[in-house]
This record gives sequence, structure tokens and C-alpha cells, in this order.
Amino acid sequence: MIGYVCKYAPAKVLEVFDKDAVRIDPKIRTDTAESLVHPNMCSFMKAVLEEVLENNIDELVLTNCCDSMRRLYDVLKGKLQFLYMLDLPVKVNNTSNKIFYDEICSLISAYERYSGKEFDMDKFTELLKNHKEKSLPDAELIAVFGARLRPDVIDNIQKRSNIKVQNLTCTATDKYIKLKNLEDQDPILHYAKTLLNSFPCMRMAEERPEFLKDIKIKGIIYNTIKFCDFYSYEYAALKNLDVPTLKIETDYTDTDSGQIKTRVDAFLESLGSRRITGVNKEGKYFAGVDSGSTSTNIVILDNNKNIVSYSIVPTGAMAIDSAKKAYEIALKRAGLEKEDIANVVSTGYGRVGIPFADKQVTEITCHGKGAFYFDKDIRTIIDIGGQDSKVIRLDNEGNVVDFVMNDKCSAGTGKFLEVMARTLEVPIDEMAEVITDSGENIKITSMCTVFAESEVISLIAQNKDKKDIIHALNKAVASKGVVLLDRVGRKGKYMMTGGVAKNKGVVSEIENKIEDKIRIPTEPQIIGALGAAILALGD
Amino acid sequence: MKAIEIYCNFIKKNLDNPSFAKKLINLGIGVAEKYVSYFGDRKVLASHRYLNEICMKYMRESLYNPERSAWVNIFTPTEIFHAMGVFPLFIEAYSSFMSGFFIEDVLIDKAEAAGISNTLCSFHKAFIGAGEYGILQKPKMAVTTSIICDANLNTFRYLAKKYDIPFYIIDVPSKSSENAVEYVKDQLVEIIQMSEDVFSQKFDIDKLGEIVKIENKTNEYRRKYLSYLSTKVCHSIMSFEMFMLFTSHVFMGRPETLKYYQKLLQDIKNAPERSKKGIFFIHLVPMWEPSFQQYFNLGENYDILGSDLNYDFIGKIDTSDPLKGIAEKLIGTTYNGDFAKISSHITKIIDIVKPDGIIQFCHWGCKQSIGTANLYKNILKEKGIPFLIVDGDIMDKRNNQEGQINTRLEAFLEILESR
Repeated sequence: MIGYVCKYAPAKVLEVFDKDAVRIDPKIRTDTAESLVHPNMCSFMKAVLEEVLENNIDELVLTNCCDSMRRLYDVLKGKLQFLYMLDLPVKVNNTSNKIFYDEICSLISAYERYSGKEFDMDKFTELLKNHKEKSLPDAELIAVFGARLRPDVIDNIQKRSNIKVQNLTCTATDKYIKLKNLEDQDPILHYAKTLLNSFPCMRMAEERPEFLKDIKIKGIIYNTIKFCDFYSYEYAALKNLDVPTLKIETDYTDTDSGQIKTRVDAFLESLGSRRITGVNKEGKYFAGVDSGSTSTNIVILDNNKNIVSYSIVPTGAMAIDSAKKAYEIALKRAGLEKEDIANVVSTGYGRVGIPFADKQVTEITCHGKGAFYFDKDIRTIIDIGGQDSKVIRLDNEGNVVDFVMNDKCSAGTGKFLEVMARTLEVPIDEMAEVITDSGENIKITSMCTVFAESEVISLIAQNKDKKDIIHALNKAVASKGVVLLDRVGRKGKYMMTGGVAKNKGVVSEIENKIEDKIRIPTEPQIIGALGAAILALGD
Repeated sequence: MKAIEIYCNFIKKNLDNPSFAKKLINLGIGVAEKYVSYFGDRKVLASHRYLNEICMKYMRESLYNPERSAWVNIFTPTEIFHAMGVFPLFIEAYSSFMSGFFIEDVLIDKAEAAGISNTLCSFHKAFIGAGEYGILQKPKMAVTTSIICDANLNTFRYLAKKYDIPFYIIDVPSKSSENAVEYVKDQLVEIIQMSEDVFSQKFDIDKLGEIVKIENKTNEYRRKYLSYLSTKVCHSIMSFEMFMLFTSHVFMGRPETLKYYQKLLQDIKNAPERSKKGIFFIHLVPMWEPSFQQYFNLGENYDILGSDLNYDFIGKIDTSDPLKGIAEKLIGTTYNGDFAKISSHITKIIDIVKPDGIIQFCHWGCKQSIGTANLYKNILKEKGIPFLIVDGDIMDKRNNQEGQINTRLEAFLEILESR
């Protein structure tokens, strides 16, 4: 079996030699790659490396499309029976067409020498003529752009959307190349030109936006791969367009994780394109359950949108048990029975596993609803919870129009502060005080929880004042929050939700940085659950 | 020291007022140039003092004369610009200077807030951040190359659009052939046409010939300097090794650069014999890292023998057809190709220099370099030269854990001492 990776690889040429020529779409992740290459290499490259070694793929054609692929070639050299690196020009003109043509011819000669098989030009011409040419759909769609995504992930997004989801990521666009009209005498030259002229990926010098003009796009899901930096530039440029855009960052093999689902669902909800299968029941009361990583919160509303009761319980090892417990407490406080509740909407990371919920909505939409309930002037919500943080932009009707979330690590979240409180041996409440008297101006340089912890340990060893260290930590969390905020853009009025909103030190540091006031609801942890309850009511 | 800190903080506080921040940055560089030319550090060699001075001058020229300047990357064939009297500003140097002003953190945050990936090389992020703040002077054009890393094309394309300036990318094939040379040469001709247009000036091919001759003469001095390194050493400062990237790349062909290598050759001839352990660096030198500074600056404990990036091309360019010669140089550059090509050249340099140990500082986001770390490990093991891989960030000081880096470095130095 000959493997290849890139859409610019001459797949039809490889098919002439081997009908099983296949584009490698890695699914496995072990630790093998990191014993062979530096861990900060592109995740996709590492996944391909593992796939090739684990599955004993011994024939591979690579293109020198990026730094990581060049190094993949170097690492695999001598480990496979046939390995070829195709030199791919960055530009498209007559000379580069010729260079690419020569490269494909050299590849053919190299494979002929290695396999003893002769290249069958007739078979190749036949393959080109029989190429099934596809066209892009005419209807309005959600476009998935950016770095490659696995087809099953696209299928999964499609299942959640009520309009067409079109995969237009880097490798998916090869379906639309036109190969049938052999303009040139030499089919290989024709093929080389066609490949080089296909919709350019970000490593090419050609402009890409032209491609967008022919498509009716309702929203863009923009995928970037960790340590593959090509596509963030386009995202940075695209996000200023009028088209709603969601950025997701994956390490290729984890593209179906809960975190990605939450973002995609919230985005589809904000576009009004999420397929929802919920049932409305008759009744007087409505409940929202927010199953978060640190706490499980429940709000019960009556049919006039008045809060009847709420509960907050710590999320234990079993999210379902915590939800049941929180539900019982909230019902008891309201003097209600389960039968009195007409509809329950769950949200938060654990939303899928709540047995008594009628439907699930992401915490992004729910926070939007909840914040708007309290104050119709809120345009930006800064939500810093136990393990993630997000910034949500609302329009003047309370609809989510944009949002960003932190990476998957806990930098700048409640967990970060909890770990630091433990290291400093102070109660978490002490971390939450506003520190105004300026002692020593300490800077915590690392935002990684693990590294920052060792930094704090060294500060303790240097006998630094604990107050100054706490001040520095609060400033660090505030900085991280403001960077996130700036990705959405600053726009008042602000509300802060999530557990960290109770930390007055962090809040005041954010206020200093943005030079604006932030509204903190009396109980910032229940905003998500409140939004869920509002949705349960059918708002 | 305190005055510099106050000045740097003042720049940081004024980033939202870009025209004022630009003036502060320019003034800072202008004053630094005057300072080093009149009161250069007497502890360092005359050649290094001169290097410091001309690097400040090269920076000042482009920043003070944006209407005569062009953004370039470190591999852009700037010989063309020198022949036209155009001042190149190379983005890696600009970012390093901003790190020198201690404002790289806010520039990097600004780029990330704009949506740029946090895993991108911090030299590029800082430059983009400066663009987002609007503190970059608008040059007349931007030229980059497809070598040696991915970020070049996209950083330049992104900022050229933002600043609305003409932009050119030189595509350098990784395999050499007649077609490849022709392809690159054609692109050089296009750049010349574009520059003639942009700067309203006729290009003089004879002037380019002179520049290339200076470059060849400079490389002669560099080869001679290298040959002394196995026995002698000029005690240096890590920042000077980084400053050398000005003279080994972007400002190659300038008479000042030639003069610097003449002085350097003179200094090494008069230098003492090597008596301490000498270290050669792969890729970049962590100039801001306190643990490295403590051991390496001015040869206090160990000597820096150089870094490979300063010796990727020390050959001769064909003067009969300078454009073809430059095209061949670009294609032949050590890092343009696979690791076999890189290692064959670098091991030759290592064999000349004969270091006691080699350190690769794996700079955050630089996939082309960090991807070679394990491969170097294998070949250096065979050669019996101790090799240390340290992860960190040359630019963004927040990405470095001093304690961790120190432990690794000291353990490595203990290994060297025990040999």
C-alpha cells in the first residue's frame, strides 16, 4: 500500500502503481512520536508518524508542504522501504508547473526502480478521464474551513446542523479539481498543472478568498491544528468579515471531544441552525441544570420567569449523582415535586448525561440568556469557571453573536487559583481579596498551572509577602481573561459569571485593565442554570 | 539600568498612541547607537564593539527612513536592496529589539488577541503584534522567501495587506536543477522591476556586481575566522552572536560588514588560545536567559564558539552573472532541503570549530529547527560530542522557566567538566 498525506500528492499516479494508494488519515495516538520527535511539532505530523509506524505502512509519498512534513521525512528516512519527498512549488506559473511536472516524473522513475513495475500511461489517462468531477452545492451552507478535519467529524457536525455542512478544509477541496479535459498532449503535465492550480492551501502564494465568492455561507467553522500555524492567519483576517465564524483548535485526533462539541453546538445555536429534538410538556415550573466541572447548579422558574429556587452543590466524581442531589435540594427549597416541573434543560460539560433533562443546550447560549435576564444592557459576558473560561458577545436582543473559549488547559481558571491557594496554604477566600496597598510588584510569568506552581514555590522560598504573590496571581488570571476578551473585542456593558466572578481581586484587576466596570450578579455561579431554565420555559 | 527600565515602561504605556510609541522606539535606538559608538563596552573586543555599532546603525537607517525601506526576512536576497541604497528591516531583528525594550510580552498578547496562533514562533508574533498596535513604520514594500520556515509567507502576506504595501514572495525550490535556478532568477528580476517601480529608481546591475564582490571578500574573511576557532577564541557576549545574523545574512555585501569581519579576523589572530570548554550552538542563542548569560558572556566560565545559523552559507557567488549566483546561493543554503543536507554542512563546520559541547535551544514554535533535535542527537552521539537540548523561547521571556533551564544547563556543564 502506498500512503500519501497531502492533497497536492499525485494520487492518480500512485493509483496506477497500486490501486490501494491511500491518503493517510491518522486515528491513533500513542506516545511513539514523542520519543522520535520534539513534542512541540505539529500534532498532525506526529499522528501520521505513529500511524505509519504502527500500521507498518512501508511506502510513503510526502510533499514538502510545511516544516513539520519536511522533518517527518527526515525522521522516517531509512525506516521505510520507499519514501519520497515531492518538491512542491509555492507559486503557480509556467516554470513552477514545469518544476512540479519534473518532480512527478522523478517520483514515477523512483517508484519504477524500486518496484520493478513500469508506469502504464494508458491506465493513467483512463483514470484522469474517469475522474468524477464534483461541484459545490448552491444552497446556503455552513462552511468548515482551515486545517484538515477527519470526515467522521464533519459527519458529526452535519448531524447536529439543520443545514448543509460543507467540508472545505485543506485536504477536502481536492474533490473539486477538474481533470477530464486533457488540454495538454502530456497527461502528466496536465495533471501537474491541475494539481498546482487547485484551490490553494495556506502554504501557497496564491490568494484564497476568491473561492468564497461562489458559495452562500451562513457561518464558518474554522479549524486549526495545534502547532500548525498556517491557518490562524486566515482566521485572524476572516473574523473581521461579516460572516459569523467559530474557531476550533484540535490536535487532529481529538476532534470529536466534548469541548469541540460544545463550541460547535453553541455556534449552531447562535446561527439558529442547530437541530434540536426536545419535547415541551404541560406544567407550571421549569428547571435548568448546569453540570459544570466544579459545581452543579440548578435554577427553577415559574411560568412568569420568576426564580423560585436554586441550588449549588460541588460536582463529585459522579456528575449524575451531583445533579440528582442538586435537583432534590432545589425542589425542596421551592416546595415542589418532580411532577411539577414541565421541562428541564441541561447545560455544562455534563449536560449529556443528565437523565431527567428533556434537552441539552450549551452553556454559551445559556449564559447569554441568563445574563440578559438580569440586565438587558449586557453585551459582553466574561465567564471564568472551574476549568474553562469564555467570553460571550450578545446583541441587543440577548442573542449570542460571537464567543471564544480558552485552550483545554486550566490556565487562568478557577482550578488555577485553587491550586495556587493550596500551594500558598491560604483559604481560597483569602485569594479573593482586593489588594490595593502596593507592596512589591511581583510578576508570575508562567500561566501554565504546573509551571506557575513551581514559580510560586520559589517565591515562597524567597520569603516574598504572600499578599504580593496573591496580587500577582490575580493579575495573571486577569491578563489571561483580557486576552480572551480582546479576541472578541471590548464592548460594554460587562458581566462576569462563573465561580471566579466571586474573586473580587481578579474582578478589580480586570476592571483596571479594561478601564470599565463589570456587573457581578448576586450569585454568579447560577447564570448558566438560569439560562437553561429560561430555555426550558420556551423563550 | 533603572533609566532604561523606566524608558521601556514608558514605551509600553504608550502603545495605544502608536505615533508617539514609534518616536520613542526610534529615539531609543538612535540614542543606543550614539551610546555604543562613543562609550562602547571596553570589556569587549574592538570588532564586537564595531558590530554593536553597525547593527544599531542598520536598524536606525530603516526605522528613520521608512520611505526608503523594505521589510525582509533573514534569507531575503538583500543584495538587490543594497545595490539600490534601500534599507532593509528584517523582522527577526525588529522583534529582538522589542524584546530588548521589554515590550515583547504585550506585542505577543496583541497578536494572539487578533487570532494568531499561540504556537507560532514568537519572533513572528511580536512583529505581528507591533503591526496590530500600528507601531511599525510603513515601508515601501515587503519581500520574503519560502525558506527556511513556514511563518514567512503568511506573516508578510498578513501585514502587507494590513499596511497596504506591495509584497513579494520568493519561492525557492528545495531541490537544485537548471529549472530551479531559472525559476528563482526570474523572481529576482521581478523583484528588481517591482523595486524600480516602488522606489522610482533605475536598478544598476554593475552596482549589484560590486555588492556581490564585497560579499565574496567578506566570506573569505569568515572562512579564515572559522579556521582559527579550533585553537583560539574571541570572548563574546551572547547578544553579539545574535547580532552576527545582521552581518552573516541581511547586511552581507555592505562595506561596514566587510570591515567588521576584517576586524574580527584581526582580533582572533591576537586572541588567546582556547583554555575553557567551548560551546557551539545549533540554531539560536538564548541571549536573554540569565543562566546562559552567567556562564557564557565574556567567556567568564565557558566560551561561545558560534552558532550554525551564522555559517549556513560561506561560499562564493558567481560574479559573472550575479542574479544567477544569488539564485544558486538561495537554493544551496544549508537549511533549504532535508536533514542530510543540513547535517552534512553543519558537521563540516563542527569539524572545523571542534567544540567541546553543542547546545540546541529549541525555540518555541520553530518547527523547522526543533524537528531536527533528535536527529542531531543521533549524529552527535556518533561523533562523541556531548549535546544538550533545552526548550525555551528566545524572545518571550515568559515562556522560560529559569530554574528548569538552569538545572539542565548546569548538569550538562558538569558532564563537560568531567570529560
